[in-house]
Amino acid sequence: MTAYILRRLWQMVPTMLGVVILVFFLFNWVGGDPAYVLAGKISNQEQIDNIRRQLGVDQPYWVQLWIFIKQIVTGDFGASWSTNERIGSIILTRLPPSLTVLVPLTILDLLVSVGLALAVAYVRGSLTDRAVMIVCTVGLSISILVYIIVFQYVFAYKLGWFPVQGWGDSFWENLVRYSSLPILIGLTVSIAPSLRLYRTFVLDEINQDYVRTARAKGLSENRIMWIHVLRNASIPIITNVMASLPGLLIGAFLIERFFSIPGIGREVILAVERSDFPVIKAITVYVAVATMVFNLLADLMYKAVDPRVQLR
Amino acid sequence: MATDTKSAAGEPLVAVRDLRVSFRLGGDAIFEAVKGVSFDIPVHSTVALVGESGSGKSVTALSILGLLPPENSIVDARSRIEFGGRNLVGLPMRAMREMRGADISMIFQEPMTSLNPVFTVGFQLAEVLHLHRGLSPRAARKRAIELLDEVGIPEPRRRIDAFPSQMSGGQQQRVMIAMAIACEPKLLIADEPTTALDVTIQKQILDLIAALQRRHRMSVLFITHDLAVVGEIADHVVVMRNGEVREQGPAKQVFEAPRDDYTKALLQCRPELDHRPMRLPVIDDFMGGSGPQHTEERKRGVAPGDAVVLDVKGLGKSFFVREGVFGRREFKAAADVSFKLRRGRTLGLVGESGSGKTTVGLTLMRLHEATAGVALFEGRDILSMSDREFMAYKKRIQIIFQNPYASLNPRFTIGQILTEPMQIHGIGANVRERTDLVFELLGKVGLPDASFYKYPHEFSGGQRQRVAIARCLTLKPEVLICDESVSALDVSVQAQVLNLLQDLQDEFNLAYLFISHDLAVVKYISDEVMVMNEGRVVELADADTIYRHPRETYTQRLLSAIPKGWHAARAAA
Amino acid sequence: MATSEAALPRNADGTRVVPHNVSPGLWTLAWRRLRADRVGMVSLAIVAAFLLMMALSAAGLIARDWSKEVGVNYAPPSFIGADEASGTPAAPAAAPEPAAPSTEWKTQIVDPLADVIAELKGAKPAAAPPPSGGTEGKSVDPLADVMADIRAGKGTTAAAPAEARRATLPFGGDKWGRDVIAKTIKGSETSIFVGIMSAIVAVALGTLFGAISGYYGGWVDDAFNWFYSVFNSIPYLLLILAVAAVLQQKGVVTIILILGLTGWTGVFRLIRAEYLKHKAREYVQAADAIGASNARRMFVHIFPNVSHVVLVQLSILAVGFIKAEVILSFLGFGVPVDVVSWGSMLNEAQNELILGKWWQLVAATVAMATLVTAFSLFTDALRDALDPKLKGLKGH
Repeated sequence: MTAYILRRLWQMVPTMLGVVILVFFLFNWVGGDPAYVLAGKISNQEQIDNIRRQLGVDQPYWVQLWIFIKQIVTGDFGASWSTNERIGSIILTRLPPSLTVLVPLTILDLLVSVGLALAVAYVRGSLTDRAVMIVCTVGLSISILVYIIVFQYVFAYKLGWFPVQGWGDSFWENLVRYSSLPILIGLTVSIAPSLRLYRTFVLDEINQDYVRTARAKGLSENRIMWIHVLRNASIPIITNVMASLPGLLIGAFLIERFFSIPGIGREVILAVERSDFPVIKAITVYVAVATMVFNLLADLMYKAVDPRVQLR
Repeated sequence: MATDTKSAAGEPLVAVRDLRVSFRLGGDAIFEAVKGVSFDIPVHSTVALVGESGSGKSVTALSILGLLPPENSIVDARSRIEFGGRNLVGLPMRAMREMRGADISMIFQEPMTSLNPVFTVGFQLAEVLHLHRGLSPRAARKRAIELLDEVGIPEPRRRIDAFPSQMSGGQQQRVMIAMAIACEPKLLIADEPTTALDVTIQKQILDLIAALQRRHRMSVLFITHDLAVVGEIADHVVVMRNGEVREQGPAKQVFEAPRDDYTKALLQCRPELDHRPMRLPVIDDFMGGSGPQHTEERKRGVAPGDAVVLDVKGLGKSFFVREGVFGRREFKAAADVSFKLRRGRTLGLVGESGSGKTTVGLTLMRLHEATAGVALFEGRDILSMSDREFMAYKKRIQIIFQNPYASLNPRFTIGQILTEPMQIHGIGANVRERTDLVFELLGKVGLPDASFYKYPHEFSGGQRQRVAIARCLTLKPEVLICDESVSALDVSVQAQVLNLLQDLQDEFNLAYLFISHDLAVVKYISDEVMVMNEGRVVELADADTIYRHPRETYTQRLLSAIPKGWHAARAAA
Repeated sequence: MATSEAALPRNADGTRVVPHNVSPGLWTLAWRRLRADRVGMVSLAIVAAFLLMMALSAAGLIARDWSKEVGVNYAPPSFIGADEASGTPAAPAAAPEPAAPSTEWKTQIVDPLADVIAELKGAKPAAAPPPSGGTEGKSVDPLADVMADIRAGKGTTAAAPAEARRATLPFGGDKWGRDVIAKTIKGSETSIFVGIMSAIVAVALGTLFGAISGYYGGWVDDAFNWFYSVFNSIPYLLLILAVAAVLQQKGVVTIILILGLTGWTGVFRLIRAEYLKHKAREYVQAADAIGASNARRMFVHIFPNVSHVVLVQLSILAVGFIKAEVILSFLGFGVPVDVVSWGSMLNEAQNELILGKWWQLVAATVAMATLVTAFSLFTDALRDALDPKLKGLKGH
């Protein structure tokens, strides 16, 4: 087990190096000279010169790459080009609002869609099953933008049930007052794909031989679904959720943007609009590390829930 | 139909009357799987339901417990399955559930997938005890340990907390049996319970079921395709084909004086250990035919003067598994394997699963890269030569695989499949010549000309295996590796393909390496036999010598596990 | 392939005559199954209709005059009737020329809704919260002034002849009185083209990489897997946004490349797994045994047997990319500002909704939802037809 974790960590090194090269290629090579990029965005020539010196733009690419790697290893990505805020503090202050929305959203999505998936898989092939699946398909076809625009307009603006947007300083106020509508929208958008996916996981299990054995033992359909099938279907569901967590951080960017929630996703959009390269670079690298770590955690979790898996 | 079982044993435990089951195939298509089957299961006796694939034997068994998939199966409402004064057809779900696992229980073919992989065997055993007997967790666990002990699981106190994946296939089937007998059922339905197991394990499981049947005074409905197994355990036999009962009666009558032509064919198509006719009788000989044609015995064995085609010395193949931080572990699939293949002769290669026999075949064909040894083809080592050089030898050494459904490309017509090798190797001057040759070969393997334009999915397993054989023949090889080539086929088809292989060997003087786990088939077709276990050669000798006087204990154990069939079993008793 | 050779019937020149009935192949059978699937065929017809619409629009046969201001500003749909306040033919126009309004979107930042809401806050103070908590540098919407002007009814210029403007349009008009239906048709051109082309790029890359990687294994597989895990470590959206950030010029080709070059990983994983599976299948080993070359085994033997996966992936990705294009264009990272797409329509629509002008939102949403629903249902039908044993298992 320990050996497995060590080997996996060791295997992350080349992947990380690849991410570094990819990001470097994008921003230093494709992105080009910051003086050009920032023309019109920052008028202070001295600041631009300063940025160019920090990046070593005049020096060969390998020196620039080395500067970038040093930044990653020390965790010091410098400051934002547009607001001059330290990158470390940007990430630390943007993370809590994102999590305030995402953690409840993920938990609710999991509970609701797993429950629904078991229910529709139980009546598979029936009219209900088909109707739910059609609703899911149609629901999935409408852009998330439309959900946000319409929900914000109807529930916040017209009916006044929720604030239209904003963010406060108290955790509970943020969670209850400002996050409710974003979470509701997030759920509306995420349940359809989750339900479809989890339903196939459950159906895969329902057709297994051990379900026939359970029936031959005289177990009730309820027990078969909730104990035997769910326990097996939870294996792909858990690993799926684990592996998708880091991506969610970015995935909620539209919701954060519309509701002015100062989270990571909105920060990325802002940075892209301002060509604020250091912020994007730093977030990309951190999220990549998080993804790799969560993938490893997903595999370890897999081991924990599936006795067949041997991690060597 | 046969009502004599009833009169012999009083009121039967189960009476199946005019059972009809069909399946919806999508659209309006309906497939009738069981067409009016009637038979009895007397108390305290073992009834064997015998048939080839598509006979409807498993469907019949599943319908007793109402386990057919509800989405697409229809059991005719007039069918009756009487058990304890009740008709099980159309029984309310609740009543059926109370019966399942308590009065009637069932075990299946694949113990590995039939147990829930994420729960311990103890949990799964306790579940059924709690459900039907209302035992407390502590009492259920105690009883589960007793049950595991009874079915022969070593160290049951420790193994009760094991997951199914931590057990061998035989042990898994023992756990399934423990679960099935936990509530002292009156009837145990065993659906091909030993088909997925090695022959030595099969013997143990069969003995276990027989012992439990006697001890618990229950009835057993044993579903199988293997008549040899039936001969050892059954009191009554029901023979099915295409959804209909062909013959039924006491085992003695069915085996010694079969009335039905199909039953006669089934009994004789299968190669027997003490008997080796020139050609195996095939089903057509009985069904409207004039009975077996070739009764004279075939001589087997190698002579010192036989020319050696392929000389294999010290062949080895290792696989590596990652382990630890940087380490890897070597797994020797085959080690130090040496043998000679002689022109016009067959070397049978037998062993249980994991013995490395298939690895040897694939390595010789260079489908796996050998890690040690040489294979001399007329003095040249085919294992160490370059791919380009080996290309010329691919014409001379060919392979036929086990699964006829996987070995033909589903997107090619039979014509394309058969012309491709000639195209690659430049055999035949033009399209016309190649096509002519294909038609000639189709005739040789007994397929109609019209097959040329058909796709593999339109053929049965036996026909596909003929196509695979024809594909090898297009290259006119000298050595043919048959990797479990008849193992997936039904008994009656198996005989036809074995006869075809024998005819081709006689005609083209082919050397066969015949790999199989089926000891009776190997005995029939081989001149020499090599026994492998855990990657190593245990024994190599003339076929008759090795079966009559096995030297090694492993060989002796293996041979004694072969189901002997009715006559041998009665002779021993 | 051996196809050409196999199709030879025999002549009656002394050799045997064979009944020449070529059996239906798996593709024919799949097509028959698809044709029997009513939902699948209806979806296919709808998708085909959209594609036809796109082609006609691209050829300039329909919706060519989408940028003409044929109606009054915010002309309501005909079935509602002319708007009392601004629907009179004498109402002043807001913008002088069609290209002008679009250029303003370029500089628009963060939250276009904020200003509208801020403005409305005066009337409904209870509804809006104080903007607080670290939302630094909230940008100003340059459009707000224009919109305020429009609402106040004092246009900056009155260029177009007022008599030519209609009070209502079949499904309403936008801010400048352009026909929403024509815009929707024109917008489909961009959205569908981008969606399908980037799906082709992504699937082609994923299939090629996956085939090579899965087939050859060994160090080739290691190399591609490394490449895959690098791309897979960065969430897809972040990667798209990062590429959008560094690419300065915008255009249809750019966005196709962005989506295509970042979207191949899922296809790669699937195709690699398929090749790994098929490589071990006996029919491929048999092909090896008869001497078929690597390329022949890869493309002639295996590829036709995994091509249904490729087809279904293409369909799934096209749907995903149509949706992605809409979001990117909405954010202003997508197609250039003078090109209309469903995404830019939604962008305009969100401001209009506050004013109660819902028709542009509905038009773009319905068009997109219809296409994407039909596409998804068709994908499901396709999968069922190509792989009948999965029928009913994988959604509807």
